[in-house]
Amino acid sequence: MGAPWLDSLLGEHLLTAITFLPLATVLALALVEGIVRLPEPVWKWTSLASSLVGLALTGILWQRFDPAVSGLQMVEHVEWIPDYGIHYTMGVDGIALLLVALTSFLLPVVLLASWNDIAKRVRSYLFLMMSLQTGMLGAFFALDLFLFYVFWETMLIPMYFIIGIWGGPRRIYATLKFFIYTMVGSLLMLVGIVVLAWLHQQQFGSLTFEYYGSGPATGILDLAIPTEGGAWWQRQGFLFGVFALAFAIKVPMFPFHTWLPDAHVEAPTPGSAVLAGVLLKLGTFGFVRYALPLFPQAALEYAPWIVGLALVGIVYGALVAMVQSDVKKLVAYSSVSHMGFIVLGLFALNAPGISGAVLQMVNHGVSTGALFILVGMIYERRHVREIDAFGGLARAMPVYAAFFLIATMSSIGLPGLNGFVGEFLILLGAFQHLRWPAVVAASGVILSAVYMLWAVRRVFFGPLVHEANRALRDLSAREKLVAVALVVPMIWIGVHPSTFTNPLDRAVTELIETMSRRAPDVAQSIPTGTDEGRTGPDSESHE
Amino acid sequence: MIPTVDPWAVAPMMPVGLGVLLLPLFDVFLVRRGSLLGQPLTAARRSTYLAAASLLFLGASLLVTLNAFSQPIRVFNPENPMVRMDGVALFLCATVLIGALLTVLASSKYLEHVQSNWGEFYTLVLSSVIGMMFLAAASDLLMLFLALELMSIPVYALAGFHRASLRSNESAVKYFLIGSFASGLLLYGSALLYGATGSLVLSEIATSFDPENALDLCGAGLVLVGLAFKISSVPFHQWAPDVYEGAPTPVSGFMATTVKVAAFGVLVRVVAVALQPASDAVGPALWMLAVLTMTVGNVMALIQRNTKRMLAYSSIAHAGYVLIGVLVGGEAGTRAVLFYLLSYTFMTIGAFTVVAVLARDGREYDAIDDLSGLAQTRPFLAIVMSVCMFSLLGMPATAGFVGKFLLFSAAVQEGLATGNSALVWLVVIAVLNSALSLAYYLRIPALMFFYPPREDVQSSAPGSFERIVLFACAAAILLLGLMPQDALPLLVSVLHMPDVNVLQLASDAAASLAP
Repeated sequence: MGAPWLDSLLGEHLLTAITFLPLATVLALALVEGIVRLPEPVWKWTSLASSLVGLALTGILWQRFDPAVSGLQMVEHVEWIPDYGIHYTMGVDGIALLLVALTSFLLPVVLLASWNDIAKRVRSYLFLMMSLQTGMLGAFFALDLFLFYVFWETMLIPMYFIIGIWGGPRRIYATLKFFIYTMVGSLLMLVGIVVLAWLHQQQFGSLTFEYYGSGPATGILDLAIPTEGGAWWQRQGFLFGVFALAFAIKVPMFPFHTWLPDAHVEAPTPGSAVLAGVLLKLGTFGFVRYALPLFPQAALEYAPWIVGLALVGIVYGALVAMVQSDVKKLVAYSSVSHMGFIVLGLFALNAPGISGAVLQMVNHGVSTGALFILVGMIYERRHVREIDAFGGLARAMPVYAAFFLIATMSSIGLPGLNGFVGEFLILLGAFQHLRWPAVVAASGVILSAVYMLWAVRRVFFGPLVHEANRALRDLSAREKLVAVALVVPMIWIGVHPSTFTNPLDRAVTELIETMSRRAPDVAQSIPTGTDEGRTGPDSESHE
Repeated sequence: MIPTVDPWAVAPMMPVGLGVLLLPLFDVFLVRRGSLLGQPLTAARRSTYLAAASLLFLGASLLVTLNAFSQPIRVFNPENPMVRMDGVALFLCATVLIGALLTVLASSKYLEHVQSNWGEFYTLVLSSVIGMMFLAAASDLLMLFLALELMSIPVYALAGFHRASLRSNESAVKYFLIGSFASGLLLYGSALLYGATGSLVLSEIATSFDPENALDLCGAGLVLVGLAFKISSVPFHQWAPDVYEGAPTPVSGFMATTVKVAAFGVLVRVVAVALQPASDAVGPALWMLAVLTMTVGNVMALIQRNTKRMLAYSSIAHAGYVLIGVLVGGEAGTRAVLFYLLSYTFMTIGAFTVVAVLARDGREYDAIDDLSGLAQTRPFLAIVMSVCMFSLLGMPATAGFVGKFLLFSAAVQEGLATGNSALVWLVVIAVLNSALSLAYYLRIPALMFFYPPREDVQSSAPGSFERIVLFACAAAILLLGLMPQDALPLLVSVLHMPDVNVLQLASDAAASLAP
């Protein structure tokens, strides 16, 4: 073909294309809608097609990504507000690549899963889902702090409307709580971002919000941020605190997790799937991309506290999940527990820990997304989610039971599926210098098996008590397609994780190097990956 | 004998001045004629023609103002400088004119609905606008007072324009009494300053101001108090909620935006120029005012059940944010203040216009619950209102966020330069206040989109003028939010216009202004 615009779209502007394709699609649909009323199927099929194109573009990105090259790739740079050093800069490294792949993968699956789920105001729903997609992708690609902040905040609006319009009975309370809680944290982060930019002006003479410098130009990451001396708001302690608070609320870490059960339960199925699948990962992504490299000394200093909170999250989340009678709430609390695991891996501050954490982000997205979608399927039929309302479901819906069981196994970390690889790496990394926290975390694995398997047994096995369950129809072709699509990555990551850890390696190594470089006085406390802990294609090939 | 004046200095005010003279004549002309252009003249049509005529005059003024940006600073009478049209004055004149244009567009159909469809409305608006423009350009205390009165008295009448409504009458009387009281304080302060420094001109006051002298400080304090009343900062804000609630809705929008814009303009000028030697005293006072205004405004807005009252408290809170910029001063602070005032005009007029559109059959529907389910009955209104609400709370991609960002940026920059932590504390307080404001701003889109519509509230469709206003406000909010760099160079050049810039004095001593 050789059309120059196509080349540039797939070349230098690939990231912008991936990010804005969803929004551009629905804006185009809305514009046409203003002239001639498009029937709902047009909206649905166009959105699905657009999401698949987005997935294809992400595939192209993956293929073009070179795991051996250090630093960021496919960088796009446009001046946006030059008076304030604000640029539209997008780039991708191994960590962002994995998360973008997760996001691009989940959207078509979620759209397909909710095909008949959303009955009223379908056009608005699709508009909001696609805008949300753009927001999330932009946040992963953004390399300018101001740009990151814009994407981070604007994501809240579509989610706010999705929960509020199509959610359950307590949706208004849930969505207001979600929005206000998240935004409060982000607003404090804004103070930190502005301070960082002006610190750069003070240290290097030019005001910029660019994170990585390029060539002679310096970025925020080149700043020397003191740990003591100077004003309280210029120190690492405060700056790390405000960034960490914003991310901790998003993850969510105990005790900032109280918005999550309400938001997850009240959100409609596709909303929950995206919320758990991608939105939560933005919090941990923020830690990995910004909080850890920018403030290594503060990270080290606060690591014991954060690890402690992560452990509480793991165990507390698991224990509360165990006593839930609503299966959606159970999955929501299991999210708290699993995200605690990821935070633990991050704050192990070594290669296997961080690689495991990033991989587990993807795993959790897939498995918890799958669980929410599967729960949605049964809710669509019975309109109840209480575990007591079920029992012996495997007799009526064997295919459904099989897929649910696979998703459960993935979530609890059965070897051979994706969850195991991530958890193993995290525990490996944590055990190196966080002995007893790793032991506690390992108990969390047992607890997750307890509540998940117990719930599965009560729902699927045993006698078929309620007559209503007998007549339930098994999965339709569309639902089977969705389930298979979700199971494929579970197995793929489980048996051949190196496909996914390869791009990660360089990024994780660089992260640790950056932390050591920026904190030379405590560099020896940052446990760099030794040979026994290095991830690589060899260490998992025996699985 | 005859002083050498530069008439081009007041060229931006002239079309509006002409309008004030000609509009009443046009009104009488229309009343006496039964028909115009072959169509019978109903009250509604008369109103539309008058609105169109005032739009012409306002538009002409706006064009002259925009043209004057590229010209050197003009002072009307260099020997007795009372009016100084520098970049800041021109920018504020332009903002005020835009606000007035939007108000006139929004009001013609509304006045019909509340059966107060008289031609004097537009004349009063234009008179007030002249006062605002002179206020923005005032460089001496007497001009300040004159312009303040010229601005305020028509607005007192406008507040009571809905004669049949008890609340409107109450609003007018309350505003008149308190506003006159404030003007009296201002005048007394001006007299004290004249007595202490021997001059009324702001720049001359600065040279002979003695910060140790009680007379000087009292004069400065009273002037500040008088101006603080006008911008409704705490604790001089008590009149605002009642007045905004009672006045006809487009007038509330007019008051909340243009009056505040002009008053802030002169406040910046007074603080930066005349009171600059007193910065050790004025700084902490402004700090306290900013914190109180933000906090009380936001907290009180949380409990409101009436949209106009909520918007009144919201505008009080925003005045608090702008005071941060006034406190920081210098180029960065003033740039932030100017941008914020422009974006705030669009957000607030947009919100008030949505409330105005809901009026019908002689009454307004301004309870917050009346907005219930608006997304299903009038989606366009709901979307515009949501854009305005998200902008007011400071959501990125809207003008409100850029304004707040500029303010915080200026404060942090100043704090870093001077090592002054009080400014950063102010930013943290402002950020926490923004978080607080989420609770009441988010309630509006929630009501509109998540709840079913009420059967007893049936809003009429917005007229074409109102649609223009709503669309313009929403578009401006998004454009300024996503592409502010087009406005920023203008703002930078505004502060650097050729010839001596009055604010250059301020930027040198900006450091001492903070506590």
